[in-house]
Amino acid sequence: MLRNALRKDLLLNARHLWGILPWFLWVAYAMSEPDAGRITAVGAAFIGALMAATIAAREDKLRTTATLASLPVSRRTLVEARYLVAYIVGAATYLVVVVMAAALPWSVQRAAELVEARTLLLTLTLASMAIALLMPVVIRYGLLGVMVFLGAFQLLGVGVMVAFEFLGSRSGVGVFSAIERGIVALHRGLGQPVVILETAAVVALATWLSFRLSVFLAWRREL
Amino acid sequence: MNPILELRGVSKHYPGFSLREVSFSLPRGHVCGLIGPNGAGKTTIVKMILGLVRPEGGALRVCGDDPVTAERAVKDRIGFVHEVPAYYDHLRVGAIASIVRPFYSRWDQPLFEALVREFEVPTGKWFGSLSRGTRTKAALALALAHHADLLVLDEPTAGLDPVFRRSLLERLAAYVADGQASVLFSTHITSDLERTADYLTFIRDGRLVFSATREEVFDRWFVVRGDPRVLDDSIRQSLAGVEVGPHAFTGLTSDAAGVRRQLAGREAVVEAATLEDIMYYAGRSC
Repeated sequence: MLRNALRKDLLLNARHLWGILPWFLWVAYAMSEPDAGRITAVGAAFIGALMAATIAAREDKLRTTATLASLPVSRRTLVEARYLVAYIVGAATYLVVVVMAAALPWSVQRAAELVEARTLLLTLTLASMAIALLMPVVIRYGLLGVMVFLGAFQLLGVGVMVAFEFLGSRSGVGVFSAIERGIVALHRGLGQPVVILETAAVVALATWLSFRLSVFLAWRREL
Repeated sequence: MNPILELRGVSKHYPGFSLREVSFSLPRGHVCGLIGPNGAGKTTIVKMILGLVRPEGGALRVCGDDPVTAERAVKDRIGFVHEVPAYYDHLRVGAIASIVRPFYSRWDQPLFEALVREFEVPTGKWFGSLSRGTRTKAALALALAHHADLLVLDEPTAGLDPVFRRSLLERLAAYVADGQASVLFSTHITSDLERTADYLTFIRDGRLVFSATREEVFDRWFVVRGDPRVLDDSIRQSLAGVEVGPHAFTGLTSDAAGVRRQLAGREAVVEAATLEDIMYYAGRSC
């Protein structure tokens, strides 16, 4: 039954996933920029996973949620399929970037760097955390939830920058630099077994909690 | 034999609306009309049967199973048409069928193809480009194509032309003829049910007014019309939903013999009620 739900989500998503195309155009350009390879690949997986995670929002927009829930499939299976689709699409977009790095004539990126274990682990970590955060919101609140969630993050970012500017101690841009440094540090750390284990534990826990919460919210939701 | 559908004291509360202890059952091999005005609670009951809404009280069983706990098994036996058939607008009818098909254990592809041909549903067109009536026909083909034990149809005839409406009603009668399958047909177009329904369940303001066989309903309820001057207190007490105009009064009675005796020799008549009369006057008296 999971296979049917997965197939349904992929068929439904096929058209919408063309929306990633502009990102790939930017990726094609970025391939000529030194040092842009990893962040571009990680970003592609991140965006692919997020786009796929919003399938439920599109179901709401089409008002097909009740129809889907009337089919002989459990809500838990539908949630499982949504998580799987997000991972599959994230992995597929990452793979496309790797192929672009290897095949585009103007690419200065080395595809081998993109498939080294710590880069793959970093991608998996960031995409998993994004999916874990977004999925329960999408499942509970649909399209409105996605808009509110992403809008809230935008406002939070703006708020942080403004607050830092007023405090005058540091530039607000420093916050984002700190995040970037944190990601770079994590990438470096993912070469060590202890950090890999710790990160895997955090990602697994976050994903498990997110999944359980999503199943609960889907079960509780009245359509 | 156990009923295919059974509701016992089912309740559900929303802000501004409550479904209160509704009980009725539907045996195999019959069509049940679920009637009531807009906002009566019909769609809430349909959603409960499909497990889209959970009852807060009472018990609901489909083929002996709870739609919430035995979600998949129950829905495998139900064919449904929602009030507004919503499938994926950007997919063709054929593609929608290919998505829906694998979920059902008894999907019959030749039957589906025969149904879409018979209903003249263009399988190559986007679902979103179809008219309301054709969408309903597509949803009906999907509902009928997997040999469901129970068809749950929420206002299925809205938007359908009279010719197709009549042929649909005949098809529903044929669907239950083998005594295994049943149909729950929610509507406020009562003329559809006068031809088809074996059972009638009337809901108003979230309360069950009655649930009985069609014969019991039409044997029980009669309309009384007459000169307002003959409407005294004893007659008024025998009537439900009395409406008094300048020239005539009208009301509904479940005691036709008694009212006939009271009105003997006076300017009034007791006549057979239509389902619409029953809905209107019984509803007024609630």
